[in-house]
Amino acid sequence: MLLALLLPQAAAAAVLHKASFANGASLVVEEDHSAPVAMVQVWLKVGGRDEVPGKTGLAHVFEHMMFKGSKKLAPGEYSHRIAAMGGNDNAFTSHDYTAYFETVPSDKVDTVLAMEAERFAHLRLDPSEYAKEIRVIMEERRMRTDDNPNARMFEELSAAALRLHPYRNPVIGWMQDLKKLTIDDVRAFYKAHYVAANATVVVVGDVDFAHVKKVVARTFGRMKRVAVPPRFDPVEPEPLGPKRVEVHLPGVQLPMVAVVMPVPVWHPGKNDREAAALAVATAILANGRSALLSRQLVDEQRKAFSVSAGYDPFSMGIDLWAAWAMLGKGNTPDDLLKALWKSISKLAHDGPSKAQLARTIRGIVADEVFAQDSLYLRARQIGSMESVGLDAGQRERWLQLLRQVTAKDVQRVLSRWIVPARATTGILLAKGKEK
Amino acid sequence: MMRLLVLTVMLVAATPAFAIAPIAEWQMENGLRVLLMEAHNVPMVVMRLTVPAGSSMDAPGKEGEASMLAGMLGDHTARHDYRAWADYLDAEAIRFGVGADRDGMSFSVTALSEASEQAVSVLQEALLQPGWDGKRFSILRSDAISSLKKSLEQPQVRAGIAAVHHLYGAHPYGHRSSGSPQSLAKLTISDLKRLYRAQVKPDQAVLAVSGDVTMPQLKRLLAPLASWKGKAKRAFQRLPDPEAAKPAVIPIAMPTRQATVQLVRIGLDRHDTMLFPALLMNHILGGGGFSSKLMMEVREKRGLVYGVYSYFQPLAVDGPFVISLQTRADQAAQALAVVRKVMTAMARGKISKRALDAAKANLVGGFAHRIDSNAKRVGLMSMIGYYHLPLDYLQRWQQRIKAVTLAEVKQVAARYLQPQAWSTITVGPK
Repeated sequence: MLLALLLPQAAAAAVLHKASFANGASLVVEEDHSAPVAMVQVWLKVGGRDEVPGKTGLAHVFEHMMFKGSKKLAPGEYSHRIAAMGGNDNAFTSHDYTAYFETVPSDKVDTVLAMEAERFAHLRLDPSEYAKEIRVIMEERRMRTDDNPNARMFEELSAAALRLHPYRNPVIGWMQDLKKLTIDDVRAFYKAHYVAANATVVVVGDVDFAHVKKVVARTFGRMKRVAVPPRFDPVEPEPLGPKRVEVHLPGVQLPMVAVVMPVPVWHPGKNDREAAALAVATAILANGRSALLSRQLVDEQRKAFSVSAGYDPFSMGIDLWAAWAMLGKGNTPDDLLKALWKSISKLAHDGPSKAQLARTIRGIVADEVFAQDSLYLRARQIGSMESVGLDAGQRERWLQLLRQVTAKDVQRVLSRWIVPARATTGILLAKGKEK
Repeated sequence: MMRLLVLTVMLVAATPAFAIAPIAEWQMENGLRVLLMEAHNVPMVVMRLTVPAGSSMDAPGKEGEASMLAGMLGDHTARHDYRAWADYLDAEAIRFGVGADRDGMSFSVTALSEASEQAVSVLQEALLQPGWDGKRFSILRSDAISSLKKSLEQPQVRAGIAAVHHLYGAHPYGHRSSGSPQSLAKLTISDLKRLYRAQVKPDQAVLAVSGDVTMPQLKRLLAPLASWKGKAKRAFQRLPDPEAAKPAVIPIAMPTRQATVQLVRIGLDRHDTMLFPALLMNHILGGGGFSSKLMMEVREKRGLVYGVYSYFQPLAVDGPFVISLQTRADQAAQALAVVRKVMTAMARGKISKRALDAAKANLVGGFAHRIDSNAKRVGLMSMIGYYHLPLDYLQRWQQRIKAVTLAEVKQVAARYLQPQAWSTITVGPK
């Protein structure tokens, strides 16, 4: 008996309800009434790319200062109030956006939206709170980057690979810059960027769109209209040849090797085939158990104990495509690199098999379904797309494009973009022990 | 960058009071207990099968046995070599993995509901038809050793290794589940086969299922598991009670900028009558994010750390209780002094009714969020089934939180938070 026949039909893609307001603020709602919970996220079209040289880390400072008091709320009170409703809150910052989010019982959504709007429009930015918080941020940097050899290597590698694009700077900021930032820098950044036109409110969960729209209209929708300039989005110069950096750090137990290079992101209607093919090609190399790089370099050739690759088609301007490998005892960076490029060029030359292509695409589509299991991921997907200027409603279109990718498309994008001459290679080695 | 590091520690799993779907139970003839919560909003099914083959079963000197067995059972079968198995799983879009922690070994499957039948057959094949491919064993073991070595770049890992050794010594919990490079080097396939034959049996096993499937459908689907038979030799609960370790100061040298400081001691077991008071006590101390006292005193008031938190793991017998922070090395003593002050105050009964009410409000109100995905529900049901908690555990959870009194919280604080009973592990520059 075919079991599939007994099961309910796959749910149709959830409907996205959208609204925008005269001051430029916007709203996206996805209703799901399966549990009395909602995820509220406020997304800002502000991130590391909006900083000027010498002031890296500013966008991320807000992720901390937004909890340090506003006109109506004392420092720390925001989180206490959310906790009291049984919610939890957090925030994150990338090069392209900043997002604040809360998971709360659905009857608290109105209150949360009002609180979000209040701190957004009336942040206190008290100098003594800032003085404490910048120290917390430095500790965050020490923990995430300075004391983490792999992360440190990627920071160095991104800076070496790109010349203009802001992805060359760390979102948390260079320590040298963090030491020099002042409360005046923070205030100026706030005034320029925390404006209605940069805000997208995303709510996923047990809510009613018409009602949420009213609430957002009288909170975010009532903020002053302020024009925002276009975002910094320079054209990254084409690499002129291979580059290589070595990062020598104490405490490194085993080497790591990574190759990165700038590649195009998705511009709907302009490079549909190319972006979709890059996504599928990267997935063939690195997704799932049957991923080609892991099979060839780890299982068959024993050049490393783990290999991965990643591509984000929803970045802004370009994406920094990456493949990276953890080397085991006796493995050498040069052997790994040779084998890595051989695997990639062989795929570019031969193309994927029919089965390989089919299972890769099915896997990406299935992962989209699995992501629906998490309110957080659903809201994040919507917010991140909207924030980089891609309509979240185009998600379906993107999946369709992936389904149409052919073996030839995969070959074409690999030969065009993923080649040694465009790559910057990074090698992490133990300080004092390198050969 | 996240404002707060999100912990994925299995705390006292918690849960519920709005009208949540009850857990449906079915026991197969072979003894396997099946627990189900239906959810039809996403066309997917998540399953987790837990068997009594955790790292507490590792033979002395063979630490990492359960973990390596899990790796082998997940990698290939007698019918599919690792390549064919990977190709098949990917073709069906089935996410499958096997892992071991201290008390058990879990087989986890996530599949589209249209592939439910294949998902069960994957489980069945992995469980009943192990492949024992010698070449794959050497490769998996060698990669596991490299991975352990690489993980020593993380101060938290170094502290964790020191903590289990110090707290549990020769007790079955006295090693990392993943083993050590030395112990893995000594393992043989025969060791794994022995553990498999003794413990991967249905009589103590629990299969938790959440998703787009009904019990009648599930019963039909699970028919292939009827041929799985037998009784596990050892009950995972049958472990000696760990003895309190002598408090010590353990410095570990690493060339980092920060010092990672962990205060550790032995905590509670899963069936402790004071579990709920302890959950609230820990929430107030360092488990409740920005509302916790440690976060308030060490980060918010003094800016000494990015992260400071506490947690305890209630296991078959008393699991660890940990307080952890990282700060620039020259501030470590200051941060530690603040933590000790908070502990001392709580141990002496300085806990307000207000703090307790706030913790209750957060936990009770956050219940729905704890069960709002298939993955979370399967985690909770596995715990409920495996540790033999009542099936209405989730229904009663909020009530039990509300019923905790201030006197009980003070009692557990006095019992656990005396600073002199804790050991201090510091990883950082000399």
